[in-house]
Amino acid sequence: MIITDNLTKQYGEAVVLNQLNLNIKAGEIYCLLGANGAGKTTTINLLLGFLKPTSGCAFINGLNVDENPKKTKRFLAYIPENLMLYPTLSAVENLEYFSGIGGKSLKKSELEEFLSQAGLQKSAFHQRISNFSKGMRQKVGIAIALAKNAKSLLLDEPTSGLDPKASNEFGQLLENLRGQGVAILMATHDLFRAKEVATHIGIMKNGQLRQEFDANNLSLAELEQAYLDTMDYKELVQ
Amino acid sequence: MIKSTFIKEIRQLTRDGRVATAFVIVVGLLAMAIWISGKRYHAINQEYREAKSTERAIWDNQGDKNPHSAAHYGTYAFKPKYPLSLLDQGVDKYAGTSIFLEAHKRNEAQFSMATDQTGLARFGDLTPDFILLFIIPLLIVLLGYNSFTKEHEMGTMALLKSQGTSVVKLILGKWLAIMSPIFLITTILFLIAGVVLSNLDDFGVFSWESLGVLFLVFICYYVVFTNLVLIISSRVKKSGIALVFSLSIWIIACLLVPKISSNIADTKHPYPTRQEFAANVLKDKLEGLDGHDPWSKQAKQLEKEVLAEYGVDSLHLLPFNFDAYRMQKGEEHESEVYLKHYRFLKKQFAEQSEVYQGLAAFSPFLPTRFLSMAIARTDYATHWNFADAAEDYRVKTQAFLNNNFAENSSYGEWSYRASADTWKKLPPFEYAPPKLGEILSTNGSNLLILSTWLIVSFGFLFITIKKI
Repeated sequence: MIITDNLTKQYGEAVVLNQLNLNIKAGEIYCLLGANGAGKTTTINLLLGFLKPTSGCAFINGLNVDENPKKTKRFLAYIPENLMLYPTLSAVENLEYFSGIGGKSLKKSELEEFLSQAGLQKSAFHQRISNFSKGMRQKVGIAIALAKNAKSLLLDEPTSGLDPKASNEFGQLLENLRGQGVAILMATHDLFRAKEVATHIGIMKNGQLRQEFDANNLSLAELEQAYLDTMDYKELVQ
Repeated sequence: MIKSTFIKEIRQLTRDGRVATAFVIVVGLLAMAIWISGKRYHAINQEYREAKSTERAIWDNQGDKNPHSAAHYGTYAFKPKYPLSLLDQGVDKYAGTSIFLEAHKRNEAQFSMATDQTGLARFGDLTPDFILLFIIPLLIVLLGYNSFTKEHEMGTMALLKSQGTSVVKLILGKWLAIMSPIFLITTILFLIAGVVLSNLDDFGVFSWESLGVLFLVFICYYVVFTNLVLIISSRVKKSGIALVFSLSIWIIACLLVPKISSNIADTKHPYPTRQEFAANVLKDKLEGLDGHDPWSKQAKQLEKEVLAEYGVDSLHLLPFNFDAYRMQKGEEHESEVYLKHYRFLKKQFAEQSEVYQGLAAFSPFLPTRFLSMAIARTDYATHWNFADAAEDYRVKTQAFLNNNFAENSSYGEWSYRASADTWKKLPPFEYAPPKLGEILSTNGSNLLILSTWLIVSFGFLFITIKKI
């Protein structure tokens, strides 16, 4: 569903992503961990077609992103770190618009159903987004992905700034999507949440994927140690 | 997708307090402009009705009188009322509404509204054309300046792009959302104007065709402004900068370029002052025959020629009154002098128009302004056309009176009185204003410039799509 094949991005001499190889299948959640500047967001931007790769390829649903920038977007949904929606529109209206530009004309009841599935409380459906917390906005983002029936989901630091309860709810939503066969790539700093939701975890540093794990065979402590080792934090501490 | 974007944009616009306030202000101004035009209609109509009915009656009922006295008594040519002048009063306010027709002299139109107003009138009136030409483009700026910048500022652009949104459809949706309220306001205004004007049976001949063409001209003008505002919004990242650039375009197009054009046109092709014009006319008049002066060199030469032509040695033996004949010849000379000097004014006017058209490349306002005035029959060209027709009528009137005097009396018979029914034989002044087809063909260059603005602005808009 989400594949990168030696995906590389360079700005002049600076290599910000170096030969990244990922293969995220339907029903998998792949968490990319790494410090700022590790190349996580660049990876997502290359998968979205916002950036052109210097070499290598990115594939969504079997289609080369660079060659089919519009087609591949039909199969994916994206939730940025700080999901911003139209503040003067309600949750239903925002969802209606984003579904509409994706070519789907949904009835009001269907829109409400998607919001409900995304975990948004009913009383918020017709409230303006300007009154929403980040967690509530993320739920509308999930509803957009659900309404789109996206086969792949790209998340860039989705839990940063969320309180533990909202973060936990978000994790459960991702579990639900995984259960529906969605391939999910999540860039995050949040080791705990990554361990909670991921099926696979990769640690990036300086544009390179340094380590990969099957999340089921790894404890949180082991993940934390691996992360610190990769980042050379021990040396820093000493 | 176009529909989704359109609905979203309209929702945002209607919920934005600033836009709603601006909209209410424009509609309020429009209502006030219509009310002011209504007042103007009543004022013009009353004056016109009174003047026209009494003037012809006075002419017809002069009684027994010497025809040359009647020529000096004079009459008036009234400019017809054009229904669309209530939408765009053009130069009518300054050019005057009637011309006094008398012997020996071509007069300027008089009784302009501006002469009855205070200096404050120079700041412009709140008329429909002011709203259409200045205020609605300003509303377009307010509606559209942040069409794209708000997507960047709110952070929604990335989400939009991730949806695989077609930028062409996105722009079309936003374009429609800006144009729809503008189209609605303009349509309502023109429909009200059409219904009201077509029901005025005492204010000239109304033409739905002219109103329709005028409507299309303004819609093209607004489309150009919408395109320019969207181009700016899509090329800059911040709403504040987009607003400054859009307002600058409005200032340049609607205020600066027209003023600069006017100054350049005036400097390059100046009109003579009223005093210079009068002095030049007088100088040329004095070089020819004065119908009232039998002792001048020219009069003596004419006398010699006429006597030779008729083979007689006394003016008393001529089969007509030579005094009247001489006055007619003097009139013909004077009308030639006026023709020459007015031809020069028209040449200056044509050259000034060329300057305006050259500078219209920097402002869609100029071709729209000229087309609007022309279609409303309130431009200078129509005014010249009317003034020429009035002059032609004056010349024919003088010929009618002088010939009557010459044919019905003998030399020296200044006591001759034409009968009271003579005056009714003079056909009343009839003036047919140029038809819409003629107006459009003489304004072909303005239509071309506006069309070029339309095409080029669409071109630039779609080029900018690639950069979004």
